This record gives sequence, structure tokens and C-alpha cells, in this order.
Amino acid sequence: MDFLPVLKEGLPYLLKGTWITLVVVCGALALGLSIGLPLAVGMVYGPRWLRQLIGLYVWFFRGVPLLVLLFLFYFGIFPFLGLDLSAFVVAVIVLGCISGAYQSQILRGAILTVPAGQMKAARAVGMSDTQAIVLIVLPQALRLAIPGWSNEYAILLKDSAVTYALGVAEIMARAHHVASRTYQHLPIYISAGLLFMILTFAGTRLLGVVHKRVRIKGYA
Amino acid sequence: METILQVHEIRKHYGDKEIVKGVSLSVRRGEIKVLIGPSGAGKSTLLQMINFLVFPDGGDVFLEGRRIDPSRRRELCAYRQQVGMIFQEFNLFDHLTALGNVEIGLVRVKKMDKKAARRRAMAELERVGLGDHAGKYPAELSGGQKQRVSIARALALDPKVMLLDEPTSALDPELIGEVHAVIRELGASGMTMIMATHQIGFARALAHEMIFMEDGRIVEQGPPDIILDEAQCARTREFCAKIGELGGRP
Repeated sequence: MDFLPVLKEGLPYLLKGTWITLVVVCGALALGLSIGLPLAVGMVYGPRWLRQLIGLYVWFFRGVPLLVLLFLFYFGIFPFLGLDLSAFVVAVIVLGCISGAYQSQILRGAILTVPAGQMKAARAVGMSDTQAIVLIVLPQALRLAIPGWSNEYAILLKDSAVTYALGVAEIMARAHHVASRTYQHLPIYISAGLLFMILTFAGTRLLGVVHKRVRIKGYA
Repeated sequence: METILQVHEIRKHYGDKEIVKGVSLSVRRGEIKVLIGPSGAGKSTLLQMINFLVFPDGGDVFLEGRRIDPSRRRELCAYRQQVGMIFQEFNLFDHLTALGNVEIGLVRVKKMDKKAARRRAMAELERVGLGDHAGKYPAELSGGQKQRVSIARALALDPKVMLLDEPTSALDPELIGEVHAVIRELGASGMTMIMATHQIGFARALAHEMIFMEDGRIVEQGPPDIILDEAQCARTREFCAKIGELGGRP
């Protein structure tokens, strides 16, 4: 069998891709949170027109397939705007915008779970609505959102493989590269799959630990 | 004694249903008024309109003679600090300890220095008998303890008036006494209060005036002994008789 030397050479190459995958996913999650959080707040507390606008955003990024969005932004929108962005940056932006749409829904649900009476009590002690949201509602909503968030991480991680189509040198792109050169498809794609499984496991485990750490005593 | 809080012709409707139909009342400094009446009479809506947690459709609220304009947000926040609110469901902030619940208004709203806020919050918790529970989260406290924390939270802001919306209705009978004791203390210390309650015996002992509300209106008001024993209105008598039987004739 000649797959062992292939793996010996190929694996370090795949591991480098693992870093890129992680950076893309973490960047997209962070961008997604910074988009999703204000969207969720606007969705719950905003005026009608704002809620409709946010609904449109969510509809667009949830409704269009990832591959279409990647091509649309990479080959279409950014060049049209005169922006020359690398495939890597576009991947982070597009995945981040999509994740923002999904995260806004996760967080909206979490915000609605915080009993409305606490918002009233916050107003009653003289807090402004912004203070009440930032100091009272969000600290609880973010804790409640962690399990949903962990799911979002797993989905995003797998979605990131599609950015290979733009030429981002992540796990999938590198696996394809090695496999098509060596014809050792089976061991290479098994390795790639295993790397994704390890990343999923590690990430959801980490979030599980975080969830426990920030748990409020006696609280569900 | 001077009038501290005045409510003039305040009203609210949801859809076609008028919940509060133009209610006026005025409270003097140190006075304790108790609202009684069947569920759905508008007591809770009235109380929540007094500090604009529910926005009235019409009517005015005056604190120390000054009309409150709830559309001015700063004025509204400043006003709410002066009017303490106690809810039936306590509404403690679940992610903060008892101390944190009392402290947060002082630090974030009154912009008090952290150390001073902590001292003050601790003093208020001790005042309601919860000095030993300062580090506990709401989920670790009993209903009666939660309600006492919420009273401490309101007191910390030095309110001029306290509004209490059925403060003991969500409590086990065993726990009602400890909350009543705290409210009684407050009354003895001269706090101005408007309280909705079904605890007739407690109300009789505490109130300077009782207000019987039904169907969004004030039906009758007067000293507790008159309202409870010699009410003019047949409906008031009927209500008081029924509720008196439940609680044991005070």
C-alpha cells in the first residue's frame, strides 16, 4: 500500500489548512455575532419598519445558497464596488453575514426567553431602555444562547468547506489538491472528514465548558 | 400634610375594552392608600400607569405639583427613580445576586461610587432582614426573600412614593408574614405607599384610606373601617364580605 507515504506528506499540508478553516470559522462567528446581536435586539424592540428591514436581511442570507452568495460577492458585488478582496476575506465576510442572519434568530429566541417582567423592573428603577437591554436582558440572553450557538458553530464549520470553490486554502481545498495529485482519494478524504469531526467535537465541547462556567446558580 | 403624588383623570384602553376609565386620586406625604377590588378592576394597570410602565391614553400624573411628561425620556427615568415599584412576581434580575440586584440601580442609574453603592445596598438588605443572603442568586431564594430583595432594591433609590402591586399574591401563605412585616415597617417609618392587595386584614391595619375599584373606576373610598364595615355602596359591601370570609374576619 502506498497511502502511508502520501499521508505522511499530505497530513501536515492538511493541518495547515485546518488553521485556515479555524480562522475562517472563528472570524465568521465573530462577525456573525456582531451582526446578529444588533439585529436580534432590533427584531425584538425595534419599530415596525426596522423589523421588516431586518426580516429582509435574514430572508436574503438564509434564502440564497452559500455557493451562490460566495460567487455573487467574490465575482460580482465586490469587484463592482471596486473592491479587490482576497478569497479568504470574502469567505469570512460572506460566511459572517450568513451566520449573522442565523445568529439573529438564535439570539432573538434567547431574548424572548428572558421574562418580560425584568425589563419592566429595570425601567422601574430608572434605567433607560438601552441600559435595561444591555445590563439586564442581554447578559441573560447570551447565556441562554450558548447551546444554539454551539450548533451554529458546527454548521458554520462544515459550510466553510464550500469556500474551497473560491480557492481558500482550507482543509477541503488541500484535500482535493492532494487527492487529485496522488489518486489516494480514500485516505485523504477520510483524513479531511476526521479533521472536521475533531474540530466539531473540540468546539462544541469548549462551548459546553463555557456554558457551565457562566451558569447562574440555581438557574435552569 | 402636603400632596405628594396626584393622578388626574387617567385612562387606558386595550382595543375596545376600557381598562381604566378616568381615575383620579391624590396621596399626601406619609399616607398609605390601599386599592381593593376584583381581578380585572384595573388596579394593576392603574399602578403601572402611575410610573408609566403602561402608558396612559389620557390624564396626568403630578409629583410634588410638577406634571410628568413621559415623552421626555430623561425626565421619565428621573421620575421613576423617585417612585419605587414592587411587582406581584418580584421581577428580580436573575443573573445578579441579591446584592447585585440592589446595587445596580445605584451604580448605573444614580452613578454612585461602587464602594458607597455596596454599603448602601448592604444596609438595605439588612433592613429587610437579608444581610446573610446578599451573595445568593434569585433562584436560591424563597418567594418571600425575593420579594424582600425587590423591596430593598426599590428602597435603595430613596423613593418618595412606593407602588405595591399585590406584593404577596404570588407567595405561599407561610411566607406572606415576612413580607407584610417589612411593609408594616415601611409604613411606620413614614413611607408614602399605594398598594393593591387582597389581604384585607393586613390592609385594614395599615391603610389610612381604602379605595374600592371595579370595572375601571373608583367606586368608593374612605377610611378602612368605614369601607369594610359600613360601605355606602352595596357592591363594596358584597366584595368586602366575601373577601373578609376568605381571610377570616379581621
